[in-house]
Amino acid sequence: MATLNDKEFKERLAALSSAQQRQVAARFIHRAFALSGDLRVKAAVEAALRADVSETELAGIAQAANAARVESYTQCGKETDWNVQAGHFVAKAAADCVRPIAEGQSLAWDAAMLIRVARTCGAASGDTTDHKEAEAQYAILDDFLSK
Amino acid sequence: MSASLEKGVRVLKEVIDAPIASYFNSCVHCGLCAEACLFYTETKDPKYTPIHKLEPMRRLYEQEYTVIGRLKKLIGLSKAVTDAELAEWQELVYNSCTLCGRCSVVCPVGNDIVYMVRKFREGMSASGNAPDGLKGASNRTITIGSPMGIKLPAVKAQMRHVEEDYGLPIPLDVEGAEYMVMLSSMEIINFPEYLAAIAKIMHQAGKTWTLCSTSFEATNAGMQIGNSDLARVIVSRIVDGAEKLKVKTVISPECGHAFTALRWEGPNLVGRPFGFKVKHIIEVLDEFKEQGLLKTEGFETDRLTFHDPCQLARRGGVIKQQRNLMNMVAKNFVEMPDAGFMNWCCGGGGGASAIEEGEELRLEAFRKKKSQLDAVKPDRLVTACANCRIVLEEGLEHYKMNLPVVGLTEMIAEHIPDPVVPEAKGD
Repeated sequence: MATLNDKEFKERLAALSSAQQRQVAARFIHRAFALSGDLRVKAAVEAALRADVSETELAGIAQAANAARVESYTQCGKETDWNVQAGHFVAKAAADCVRPIAEGQSLAWDAAMLIRVARTCGAASGDTTDHKEAEAQYAILDDFLSK
Repeated sequence: MSASLEKGVRVLKEVIDAPIASYFNSCVHCGLCAEACLFYTETKDPKYTPIHKLEPMRRLYEQEYTVIGRLKKLIGLSKAVTDAELAEWQELVYNSCTLCGRCSVVCPVGNDIVYMVRKFREGMSASGNAPDGLKGASNRTITIGSPMGIKLPAVKAQMRHVEEDYGLPIPLDVEGAEYMVMLSSMEIINFPEYLAAIAKIMHQAGKTWTLCSTSFEATNAGMQIGNSDLARVIVSRIVDGAEKLKVKTVISPECGHAFTALRWEGPNLVGRPFGFKVKHIIEVLDEFKEQGLLKTEGFETDRLTFHDPCQLARRGGVIKQQRNLMNMVAKNFVEMPDAGFMNWCCGGGGGASAIEEGEELRLEAFRKKKSQLDAVKPDRLVTACANCRIVLEEGLEHYKMNLPVVGLTEMIAEHIPDPVVPEAKGD
């Protein structure tokens, strides 16, 4: 049955195992990767997409992904560049994705929300395309669950 | 003398008041303030001695307001302040001073050196010698209303996200609400989870609260650059918003200087008492805890430590409250050496983090924080200031320290059970 709203979306994501949450989160981030363009983010997403990725491999990538997240913060008092800020949220989602998953962490839902925030930042920087991000994320989840 | 220098000198003469005169006369040149300043301790360069950072103002005071100084000036023994000298002093008055106040509290004769630096910044700013980063922030505050260029639509977008994420409404412009919640630009841009945490906490506490569409920004760029007129305008916007909405309490966000500007200097800036209370979010959370309105579940089991923001703890007197809150949710909370009142600054307060050319020095000074952290080896670092949080993250990244940094309000909210939001009833 297709996911129709955020309530169902959240419940279905919560029912996934940690490893599955990581893979779905990586798919959400992959869709919005163009907002970042950072190769460290790309490497993190590509690793997290793989079902056979090892924790050691993820640990090796995590530091670079975290550096991409920290470097893309808008510092206090600086003029906001919404384009860069969109990239920050994508980097944040990617860094979370390759970190060890804490108990009770809703990794996939959090990634979905961060990507939506990133899209809003993109819109603030002049992107007029309606990405229909929520619907696209429902479709990604449905596709994942159907396999 | 250039017009800008003339203006700067005139402003400096105006701001030299009785406390400053007494402070200059009282200084015993002991050097204790140097050992209290992380820019000195980490570089060992004597130019970063706090009282030395005020040298041009001291000379001007002496030349203008003392007999000996006037004589020295007359016979050429004391040089006039120049444009070039003020330009050179920019690094000392802004880049290497976070207004953290450690120097003030160690001074054996009670000189409030931060007060003096703030006054000196008034002259520096008037003479055009403030750093470009702070000038930009101030200009955006005047023209847009926010130092980082945040407008209401950005706040509304964040409100929508929080509503979507948590299913909790974010009230805007609700007249008669008990609390008016302020945000810093940093929270709007970088940490949307702060607003989500507030929504969750207020929902559990059963308190009425609101954001204000004409006054959501708490950051006070006027205070950082040294422009009292601008600082007054920013505080007035908040006062107008709070009075229009008839709120009882305005909550200052996790932003150090916003708290100092509004709570401790606000009434003096606008020239009258406020008709509402001003509290830091950490104070409000501790009150909720005391009243039994803050009910958390579970504990963090990893090793946590807390970085006290200077304006909250040393300058603001809020020290016990954050510890009460930490102990609510942390089983393994450890204190760094010098924690609390004498905590060392992150290195980016007082506008320093907005100064690009000061980054190298800032990272050098961060070694002090690193040594505090190395002493207790925590798994995570908690703080209550969005600016500290980013400066800490940058420093940790620079020194390759794998240490996540989290906000206290957000961590408390994570221990509150998810709210049960009633679904809208159909016909």
